Amino acid sequence: MRYLWLCFVVFAAITTNALTGLAKGNAGKKSKVKRPFYSKPYVRRDTTAKDSLLKDSINIIIRHTLYNKLADSVTKKPYDLSKFPAVSLQQLLKGQFAGLYVQEPSGEPGTVQNMFIRGVPMPLLSQRDVYQSQPLVVLDGIPLVTEHPFAFDIQLYDYNRMGTATNPFAAIDMNNIASVEVLKDLSATAIYGPRAVNGVIVLTSKTPVAAKSITFDSYIGLAQRPHVTTINGKYENAFRQRFYDLYTTNGRYSDDENYPIYLSDSLNNVYSGKSDWSDLYYRNAVVYGINFGISGGTDRANFRFSLGDLKNNGIADGTMLNRYSAMFNINMKPLKWLLFSTMVNANRLDRQRNKYLRDRFAQINYFPDLSAPLPPNKEYYADYLAQYKKGFDNNKTNIVDGYAKIGLDLGKFKFTTTFNVDYNEGYRDVFYARTLLQGNSYASNYFGFSQRIMADNRATYDLTINKVNDFHFELGQSTQWDIYKYSNAYAYKGVNDYIKIDLLDSNPKNPDGSDNPNYLNPTAFPRELTFRFLDKIKHNLVSFYAKTDYSFKQKYFLSATVRADGSSNAQPTSRWFYSPVVSAAWNIKKELLANNTIINDLILRASAGRIGRLNAFDNYAQGPQYTASVGYTGNLTVPGYNAFGVLTRPYSTGWIGYGIPWSYSNQLNIGTDAGLINNRLHLSVDWYLKQEKNLLIGIPAFAEYGYKQSIESGMAVNNTGIDVSVSANIIQNTKFGWSSSLNLNHNINKLKALPRGLNQITIDNKLLKVGSPVDQYWLLINDGIYKSESEIPVVNGQPLKYNGIAMHAGDPKWRDINGNNVIDNNDKVLKGHSLPKISGGYDNNFRYGNWNLNINLYFNLGRDLIHQEMANRFDFINREGNSDVNSVKEITFWEKRGDYSKYPLYNPWSTVIPYRVDQDLFLENASFLKLRTVSIGYDLTKAMRLKKIKLTRFYVYATANNVFTITPYTGQDPELVNYDGYDTGYGLPIPRTYTLGVKMEL
Amino acid sequence: MKNDHKNHVVKMKKTLCIVLILFTAAITSCNKTLDIDSTRVVGEKNMWNKLEDARAGLLGVYALTRAALSDNDGHWLYGDVRTGEFISPNRQDLKAISTNQLNASYPTVDALSDWTRFYAIINAANIFLERIGDVKAADKRYTENYLIVDVAQVRFLRAFTYFYMVRIWGDVPFITASHDGKFENQARESGSKILVWAQQEMLKAAADLPFVYSNNDVQQPGNYYNEDATRWGGALATKNSAYAVLAHLAAWQGNYTDVATYAKFVEDNYSKSGINFQSTEDLTKSNGFFFNKNTSQMFGFNSDWGHVDGSVTGHLEELTLAEPVVNKKVPDIYMPKDTILKIFDMPKDERFSIDTLGQPRTERYFTNINGKYPIFSKVKVILGGVSDPTFRYFTSALIFTRIEDVVLLRAEALAVLGDVNGAVNEVFNIMTRRGMTDLTIDSNQDIIDVIFKERHRELMGEGHRWYDLVRYNKIKQNNPAFLKLINSGGIYWPVSRKLIAQNNLLTQNPFWK
Repeated sequence: MRYLWLCFVVFAAITTNALTGLAKGNAGKKSKVKRPFYSKPYVRRDTTAKDSLLKDSINIIIRHTLYNKLADSVTKKPYDLSKFPAVSLQQLLKGQFAGLYVQEPSGEPGTVQNMFIRGVPMPLLSQRDVYQSQPLVVLDGIPLVTEHPFAFDIQLYDYNRMGTATNPFAAIDMNNIASVEVLKDLSATAIYGPRAVNGVIVLTSKTPVAAKSITFDSYIGLAQRPHVTTINGKYENAFRQRFYDLYTTNGRYSDDENYPIYLSDSLNNVYSGKSDWSDLYYRNAVVYGINFGISGGTDRANFRFSLGDLKNNGIADGTMLNRYSAMFNINMKPLKWLLFSTMVNANRLDRQRNKYLRDRFAQINYFPDLSAPLPPNKEYYADYLAQYKKGFDNNKTNIVDGYAKIGLDLGKFKFTTTFNVDYNEGYRDVFYARTLLQGNSYASNYFGFSQRIMADNRATYDLTINKVNDFHFELGQSTQWDIYKYSNAYAYKGVNDYIKIDLLDSNPKNPDGSDNPNYLNPTAFPRELTFRFLDKIKHNLVSFYAKTDYSFKQKYFLSATVRADGSSNAQPTSRWFYSPVVSAAWNIKKELLANNTIINDLILRASAGRIGRLNAFDNYAQGPQYTASVGYTGNLTVPGYNAFGVLTRPYSTGWIGYGIPWSYSNQLNIGTDAGLINNRLHLSVDWYLKQEKNLLIGIPAFAEYGYKQSIESGMAVNNTGIDVSVSANIIQNTKFGWSSSLNLNHNINKLKALPRGLNQITIDNKLLKVGSPVDQYWLLINDGIYKSESEIPVVNGQPLKYNGIAMHAGDPKWRDINGNNVIDNNDKVLKGHSLPKISGGYDNNFRYGNWNLNINLYFNLGRDLIHQEMANRFDFINREGNSDVNSVKEITFWEKRGDYSKYPLYNPWSTVIPYRVDQDLFLENASFLKLRTVSIGYDLTKAMRLKKIKLTRFYVYATANNVFTITPYTGQDPELVNYDGYDTGYGLPIPRTYTLGVKMEL
Repeated sequence: MKNDHKNHVVKMKKTLCIVLILFTAAITSCNKTLDIDSTRVVGEKNMWNKLEDARAGLLGVYALTRAALSDNDGHWLYGDVRTGEFISPNRQDLKAISTNQLNASYPTVDALSDWTRFYAIINAANIFLERIGDVKAADKRYTENYLIVDVAQVRFLRAFTYFYMVRIWGDVPFITASHDGKFENQARESGSKILVWAQQEMLKAAADLPFVYSNNDVQQPGNYYNEDATRWGGALATKNSAYAVLAHLAAWQGNYTDVATYAKFVEDNYSKSGINFQSTEDLTKSNGFFFNKNTSQMFGFNSDWGHVDGSVTGHLEELTLAEPVVNKKVPDIYMPKDTILKIFDMPKDERFSIDTLGQPRTERYFTNINGKYPIFSKVKVILGGVSDPTFRYFTSALIFTRIEDVVLLRAEALAVLGDVNGAVNEVFNIMTRRGMTDLTIDSNQDIIDVIFKERHRELMGEGHRWYDLVRYNKIKQNNPAFLKLINSGGIYWPVSRKLIAQNNLLTQNPFWK
């Protein structure tokens, strides 16, 4: 096995090293870093290094820490985080920071996950909005680029973005990271510019140390196969028969009724036999991670190099993620005042995706005959899997980021210039054999990249007057050049199943010298069934800022920042946005409580300011415009007319006019930090207000001018809430220790304004109403069932109607809110929340001698979801036998999830669609408490030292993750929902994982 | 010491100066950095400057028209499915449409009651007509003749769109300017007024439209946009297209004198556009009349295989075809055998007829007649016009009208106007072409019935039947239920609730309140 091989090699290297060479040279290092193995969330850094190179960075850190008092930021030691066998940054940060909410729509390794800091800045109507609500992730000063959502423009379904759809933050190896900081308010985020409008997650990689040091971190574990209840055709048939018994006389609702054959034939073993597909679908899966780092050099020049490999096998559907990472840092100080440093971080991600039919059909833009779903029997399901194996679905992502930095240190004056590059490319190569698609093969090749190049200059000047007045001046300028591009080609009906790529004729000339008319035409697939697409967005951002910090006697802190940001995606008339931020802090401890022994630290801080919000799309910069897309429902990518490109107004995107200003965010933060009882109790509370202004929103309007909507500026959304972090060293003996920390966020979201002063707008199944939260569902209230015709209210001879359709027995009793005897949109109410009112984590660490135990809980309160999977099962009449997405049945159709008995038996044939999802029948409380991690570890450092093995640290541990969930939700897992709060049943389960690991440093 | 400090300050100032100079230099260069034209859309300043912009704008109007008619297979759902003569085994939305439950809350039904996509055509046409002068002024290659011919096409398409909408909704908002950026909500205007306007527009357009493109028509000399006649044949509206649609419009108005005139014009001139009557074989074979584009497609919108224009949706085949024609178990719609036999009751009908043993003589219109689902396979343009059942990718053209339709319209007009012999001649002309012989009319047979039955057979699946039924019942006045539907506005579609919510000047059709 590969893991064992890797471990063996590294171990061999280390042990030989440790026992020989390193044994002598390490004497001075012992005192360097002594890390406690229990969590100390509020220890901001270790500052005991002597190294001259380190000193520079320490200085910066001190500076940072000082001004941190102005800012609400929380730092975490990745050391503890990295014990969780996570794939992505999001998983690692989940429940760890007050105010950072992580959404995990699927347990499939390496899929995209969403993060929201302090609520959502806008209604999440599409993946585009989700993209524009994500916080910025900064690695060593590089603002990381992610995949642009423009690919959704030509996608009929937005289940997955075209291409690899791999989570770019799965490329971060926590073992290379020295600190993770979540910056939530403007005093901390302002210097990162408009990209930081949704908050910033700052990752700082491990800096090289001069002394030779080797680290080795690894774990191996097992993700446990879940227990599921499977059902077969007989079961489903019985389920449906109840409706036939109730609403039909002869087993047919109408003469042309077409009962599915796969259910009606009870002797058919394919469907009515044993339902054991889960043996092939679910599995116990091995996960491991391994990271090897080496650092060394001198005071003047040093480096750190690390290699890592992570493999995370999913428990369902053969999913898998494999990551190889390499990171290289160099610091050089050729002159006393000159620092040159550079970093390269390269990652390769290979992802094995799920085999959902829906995702495949959406990818190939073709729905085959769906009258016979995948059978629940293992033998038949195995056939299908075998067909799948004839093709491939390769998803490869390469992410390279790095910087080169020159720093001039002229005492009080410092100047740094940095060149950052972040390049993120994805390849997806797909081939589906003929047998998978009724005799048609499919090949697709995608290549896309996102690239950010950034030149950043900063000058600072420090001034101290009379030893009590500290000034810090900072000027910064940066230019960022972003390019997002993809090219995608796909083709149907290849000549056979052996040629799996769409080869092109590569001869420009015929043998006789004439031009080859078929040059670059496909050879193995028909030219007429080959489709090619590409798209590109360039976005340049130029920023300037000036910042002044002032502190008086370390008691009063004042800071002011002024920014000017110019974006190429802003309209020419309002290209630049100017924004100020001011913040202040007061050290009450120093001022008033210097002698107080109970209160060790008390700081009050406040910040207020404004920052611009960027447009992700360059369309808005153009004003009224013309586009080449003239598609229609089901065929979005019509290539012009009569083989000529056409240009029309963007009717399906929406009208875009002139005069669109920058959108921006006003943010106010008031907080306090306190350290009590010998700093054993830390308390940090922040109240915040975020006002998003001038957001763009598509208002359904101008239909008589052909537009689907009018995209206008002027939406305003407020988020207010508090972040609370408490940590306590409850017991602190030499032998035994117990520390506990709790973080939680309470957030309230409200729509404050719509463009044109509108009070409300309806967009598809969502109502945006001024004064109401944007994350609410818009639902009919279900009061039961009309058992007989006589129960249906009649007013003036007219029976109760739903949108003009008279209600009948067997229809749902929807509440007539406005009492006009008509059920329509006016009777829908805003109900529930797709985002939690309260979310957070609770962490406990116990230490006994060299043992330590960690228990980590994660919770969401006041969150609701729509159980769409259940609605779909009951709405079988509208989801059977057609060649469309609604009729797709996955293999998990044969899994029983949720409680069927909760729901009334409506007449499923009724044209009011009784089991529609826009009613509170399927709204469920999705609050939960999860035991996310239990880990137990033993520190072997001392034991090893006794044996004269020179080790800085040697720690072994075992963890159990996702141990249990307590929730009132009856479906699969309350976490597994889309950004819109609908549980479609498509999320793969988040596995329970057990690991064994080791962390070693010498 | 002091001096030292001073020096330091001077040094500092110098440094600051340099930094400031660098910053100003950066600012001036950065406006350039920020000025980038989008590569994915075209801004107003880069449009309407060149001949190619005019072509892109003109063909854009065509493309939008094709999109509007193809969307959700609307042309056939409005025209064929609504009559209830087809049955949908699985699709609840189609069941609702075929039983006239147009309030039912299915996405397709909602989408079909939404006229936004038709107004996209109108708006694109309005912008074209307002801005095409800019191209004329800016690009010498764009000659006066281009201007005349292009404007005529756009005016025709705009009028056609209004006609199409009036047939669906009755009264619709009437907008003939782009109102770019200053959009105002409009109330619905009387459909009959709009039709009067549309008729005038089409007549004006017809005067400027050539019979043929790139083929030495006096009204369009030279190669149109540098492409030859094969490229344009069947793709663009001609003089004959305009008169054929005019005939339809006049028939919908009940103005049969005009119908006779317009139809006569087409009958006299169709060959100038390269239009031919289709043999039954050509009409129904998969690489025949409906395949790609050809000059016989009097007015239609092609989805050319060679142009990679085909698709899995937006074609009649998506609804009608299933096993054994394509690999789909159950068709979205089918016609029961009884209905088929009632409609195709003429012996020797090449489209469909049964022999004395009850076996079909031909499978041109219907396949699998004795199976559970007889497949309506008149139009079956699969892939590049082949009979490969494995891949449901269709390239059939959406035909609004063809010569046979116009001849039958003229028959209808003559019959209404009392020229029974003329009408009989016209309808027998078509019936003879379909293989029927020994045609006679006996005294107890109404020629109107004969004509509409033939229309039903000939134009089945071409989006005409519903409107034919309306005209038929207006003429016959003998079906109280249908007349009630006509008089109460039940022949129209409801206006989408979404639209009414957006525009408070709109009212719902009373029948659907």
